[in-house]
Amino acid sequence: MNTPALEFKDVCFSYPGGHEVLRHVSFSIQPGEKVALVGLNGSGKSTLLLHTNGLLLADTGTVSVNGKVIGRKNVEECRKIVGMVFQNADDQLFMPTVETDVAFGPRNMGLKEEEVNSRVDEALRITGCSSFRDKAPFHLSGGQKKMASIATVLSMKPNILVFDEPTSSLDFAAEAQLIGIIDRLPHTILMSTHDMDLARRLCTRAILMDHGAIAYDGPIDTLPYPLISTL
Amino acid sequence: MKPAERSHIGDIDPRALLLVTVVYLVAMLSVPLQRTDMIIWFAAYPIISAPLAHIAYERLFRNSLFVLPLLVFIGIFNPIYDRTPAFALFGITINSGWISFISIIIRGLLATQALLLLIRVSGFNEMCEALHRLGCPGAIATQLLMVYRYLSVLLEEALTMQHARQARSYGKNSFKASLWGPFVGQLLLRTIERSRRINMAMKARGFNGTLSTSPNMHWTTADTVYCLVWIPVFFSLRFIDVSALLLTLFAYC
Ligand SMILES: Nc1ncnc2c1ncn2[C@@H]1O[C@H](COP(=O)(O)OP(=O)(O)O)[C@@H](O)[C@H]1O
Ligand SMILES: [Mg+2]
Repeated sequence: MNTPALEFKDVCFSYPGGHEVLRHVSFSIQPGEKVALVGLNGSGKSTLLLHTNGLLLADTGTVSVNGKVIGRKNVEECRKIVGMVFQNADDQLFMPTVETDVAFGPRNMGLKEEEVNSRVDEALRITGCSSFRDKAPFHLSGGQKKMASIATVLSMKPNILVFDEPTSSLDFAAEAQLIGIIDRLPHTILMSTHDMDLARRLCTRAILMDHGAIAYDGPIDTLPYPLISTL
Repeated sequence: MKPAERSHIGDIDPRALLLVTVVYLVAMLSVPLQRTDMIIWFAAYPIISAPLAHIAYERLFRNSLFVLPLLVFIGIFNPIYDRTPAFALFGITINSGWISFISIIIRGLLATQALLLLIRVSGFNEMCEALHRLGCPGAIATQLLMVYRYLSVLLEEALTMQHARQARSYGKNSFKASLWGPFVGQLLLRTIERSRRINMAMKARGFNGTLSTSPNMHWTTADTVYCLVWIPVFFSLRFIDVSALLLTLFAYC
């Protein structure tokens, strides 16, 4: 078998002073796979996603990216491979213009300015953000903000894309546009959502979280639904 | 390019603008406290520059008034403690304490106007970058940027909470003093939470604590000219007594 793009091995995690949020989580994702992470609010989806690029580190167990275990020493390298689109676009966009925000990641990677510019152009084109590249993110619509926040991650050319509830604050039209864009991306994708239509449209496999543990991992068509909590 | 566009100081390199502003502040603030007559000439800079940046001076002036309470607080002790008579006007003796008071107010307002102009024209981020380019350590420039970002988060959260409160206050607009405590507490918690998330998003994109500057700044002849026009003007206003000069000129005519 190939080296998995992303692999969790028996990961446990609790927030300081809190109860256990991830309980013995194990799964692996092959390159090119599109996986939906589903589950009720508070089941631990966001927490799991924050482990994929070392923003949170497991208490016990390991998370590896392209076969390399994420530790304190190689987090920066992992963050180039795993691009994360946060749930709230307002948290993701913080530069004065869309363009400089999309350039933020590549500049941190220390790339040459021509390379930065060409990546910015490409990311803006893929996400349809070119027409408002000079605008302040603050003035954009919800849908535009979401597309821009995806562009800020695409410009870093990650292999794996992680989305936390990508459609949670979008209207119908923006959601349709977003689905169109994500559908064309060649990346390995892991996205949390409780929108089952979205999951079925974009993913072939589903992982169901329930109180911090994996309750189901398999084809999305046979996912038990509705996602009733067992407790 | 049309002349109108060329005179737009928005095209001036942030470094030139920063340099001119710093020289302005040093020249103006180093005028002796009692020389209110010299200070007023320094108003020329914001009055002339504001329209060049397509900002109405009245607006800039009104915006600068937010520092007035602070200036009054700083200056008010002068007329109280310094009662030396300075001169008499229409039979009323003016104490030198009042002269320094007026001088402090004008200085403070002009300094604020110059800084507002600087940030309005170049943008705060560019300012931090210009500081960095002019030799300020990257960490300090980044911290300034973070403080600025934190303040805007604070403002956004405050507005959200304000709207949530208004939506449930059924037209009663008074905000009882007893509610201020919880409001401020909540605001602080929300801001910290929000900043934590923003910081995570920055780290996820490879941010390691220092600003990576964009090399989009180009120093052109226009920037040199801008500096060469204003800096000598500030030096003249500082070292030449323009009011006295004008008076002598009038006396000759
Ligand atoms: N920063 C945090 N500190 C402490 N507890 C947290 C934090 N973030 C989330 N939690 C707790 O962890 C659990 C899982 O949250 P989360 O991962 O956000 O779930 P989901 O994304 O599935 O809604 C919840 O009980 C939540 O209260
Ligand atoms: Mg979540």
